[in-house]
Amino acid sequence: MSRVSLNDFARRFAESRTAVISLMISLVFVACALFAPLMSPTNPYDLTQLQLTDALKPAGSKRMLPGEEVRANIRIEAGTASVEPALAAQTRQSITAESCGASCLSIGVQPEGTKLASLQIRNLPAGAAVEGGKKHIVQPWWTVDNPEGSKVRIVSNSPLPENFTVLAIAKSLDQETDFVFRLGTDGFGRDMLSAILYGIRISVFVGLVAAGAAMVLGTSFGLLAAWRGGVTDAVIMRAVDFMLGLPALLVGLAILAILGNGVSKVVLAIVIVQWSYYARTARSFAISELGKEYVEAARCLRLSPTRIMLRHVLPNCMPQIIVLFTLNIAAAISLESSLSFLGVGLPLTRPSLGMLIASGYEFIFSHKYWISIYPGVVLLVMIVAMNLLGDRLRDLNNPRLDR
Amino acid sequence: MNEMIFEAKDLSRSFTVGRSALRNLANRFLGERTPTVLRAVDNVSLTLREGETLGVVGESGCGKSTLARMIAGILPVSSGERHFRGEPYDSLLARKRDALKIQMVFQDPLSSLNPRLRVGEIVGEAAVLHGLVPRSRVKDYVVDILARVGLPADSISRYPHQFSGGQRQRVGIARSLAVKPDMLICDEAVAALDVSVQAQIINLLMDIKRESGLAMIFISHDLGVIRHLCDRVAVMYLGRVVELAETEQLFATPTHPYTRMLLDGMPKISLERRKFMPIQGEIPSPLNPPSGCHFHPRCPIATEHCRRTRPELREIASGHVHACLNVEAL
Repeated sequence: MSRVSLNDFARRFAESRTAVISLMISLVFVACALFAPLMSPTNPYDLTQLQLTDALKPAGSKRMLPGEEVRANIRIEAGTASVEPALAAQTRQSITAESCGASCLSIGVQPEGTKLASLQIRNLPAGAAVEGGKKHIVQPWWTVDNPEGSKVRIVSNSPLPENFTVLAIAKSLDQETDFVFRLGTDGFGRDMLSAILYGIRISVFVGLVAAGAAMVLGTSFGLLAAWRGGVTDAVIMRAVDFMLGLPALLVGLAILAILGNGVSKVVLAIVIVQWSYYARTARSFAISELGKEYVEAARCLRLSPTRIMLRHVLPNCMPQIIVLFTLNIAAAISLESSLSFLGVGLPLTRPSLGMLIASGYEFIFSHKYWISIYPGVVLLVMIVAMNLLGDRLRDLNNPRLDR
Repeated sequence: MNEMIFEAKDLSRSFTVGRSALRNLANRFLGERTPTVLRAVDNVSLTLREGETLGVVGESGCGKSTLARMIAGILPVSSGERHFRGEPYDSLLARKRDALKIQMVFQDPLSSLNPRLRVGEIVGEAAVLHGLVPRSRVKDYVVDILARVGLPADSISRYPHQFSGGQRQRVGIARSLAVKPDMLICDEAVAALDVSVQAQIINLLMDIKRESGLAMIFISHDLGVIRHLCDRVAVMYLGRVVELAETEQLFATPTHPYTRMLLDGMPKISLERRKFMPIQGEIPSPLNPPSGCHFHPRCPIATEHCRRTRPELREIASGHVHACLNVEAL
């Protein structure tokens, strides 16, 4: 297309404000798809980051670090205390001990400000007690619930012995972090915002690749039918009629039931469903182009049929095929989401929007609306925007609406 | 006399109307029904000499364009033989570079140019593909050809819709000339143009003919243009040639009643009052042509004999043939 007619096309496109808004929304979604790893706060595919304590949190809640148990042996030798962890496991918190006089030993937890559920001291020397602590009925264990300042003091009426060892067990409370789940979490504790961004990425990818592959395949068949005519035409077009007669979702379900799920199989299923639209459109426009004199001129110049079809006829059919492509991306996304919602599409570990909606479906009656609603709204906006965009392109290509 | 460049013998082309794979199948099982056959061109024989211009004239729907496409080798014949410099078309068309010697200029200057290609590619594409010009020098080559047809060099990067009708037809002519043809078929090449532009294009064609000695078949319904341009003229009616003669002779002494009526209908500049006698009736449908002589329902001198017998072309003077049963001599 020449520069002049391209400008003209853009101007006529911009006459519809809806179309411009749709185009912008579509571009935002494409950007989301491209830059999802940069934009999303967490990586929803990294299963090691998930913790069940975060599951089903509403929008705006903060991520919690679960409480942990820390054990350490505190050895007192000649009045100085040394701490050695009793467990090999890596912990965030550590136990500290310092002397606070001849008959006093203070035991606390680092870092400062850690809230403890309880701090238990075992194996105290005779005569010693823990301030505010309760002794175990049988064992020489002293426990302080919710110790103030996360510190306890071992005190004794007489000075403490020179050498002894106690075991301290600190249990900390769940800890709030600065990380906010802006759209809440799903049943696995996945951040919904990240899951939606990655879901858009998968949906847009599947939509573009599937619609694109269907376009190439269908257009080739359409051109072949238009060029060869006769039996070839009849066979291809009856296959097209057959495909158009079957409901898309049912065909998709059947194909995935045979092939199993996975991104490539969903793409294949959508291609099998959608190629017929392109074949029919490409054939009808190619036939009308083949009747024009420039094709006869090309044949008179003894160009090869392949060259005439690809270089002369195809470019003149492309505007209509592009319109169909735009509309079919939306249809492909919607089909993929439907299949995923029905559980035959993409695997649970790499959720698309449809899969997210499906996974929230079981919680929707317990007021955990965000898991289904947010991906649903995103999907709705995306499909409506792409449909409006395609409609506008189709209107621009329709000479009857041309003023 | 020059060598013969093109010879057609008994060319016919018929189209079966309403044929489909399903109907063929139905015919096979339910018994053959005679399909409706349209005989667009019916036993036409023509010859063309090197450097000669042959005009083909007739009303719309008489098969002129079908004939042109058969001669150009882009439409297969139903029966008959075509020879280019003595070689049958079947073997000629297999050698693409030789088949380029026959080129065609089309009627509609817009639809005959691919709207998505720039003029440079429209004109240069075939020459490059068939190895007439190396790709590196195609630009200069196209500029030369465009200059020959009177288009500026900057046309090369423009699209067909940016030109006027006359300029588009020049592009079409340039496209044909770019593959160095020896025979040019012009199918109503000026019919879609304004009269002033028609004159320019006709002059251009005459210049090209004078420079390169092209043989031309010029198809038109415009007798004035034909008279101006052609050495010999064939008159067609409903798929058949009814009269063929040297231009001078045909316009001076037309013999077939159809030719006479066509010539009477030509506008003339003269002061005397003329009685205008339009040809009676419509051109009959080629799907159901009249029996015998196709022209008899509209012919003022038709007899019962004309209704039954198909007239053959007969020579009535040197180089002057016609197909009329009643007119015997000049």
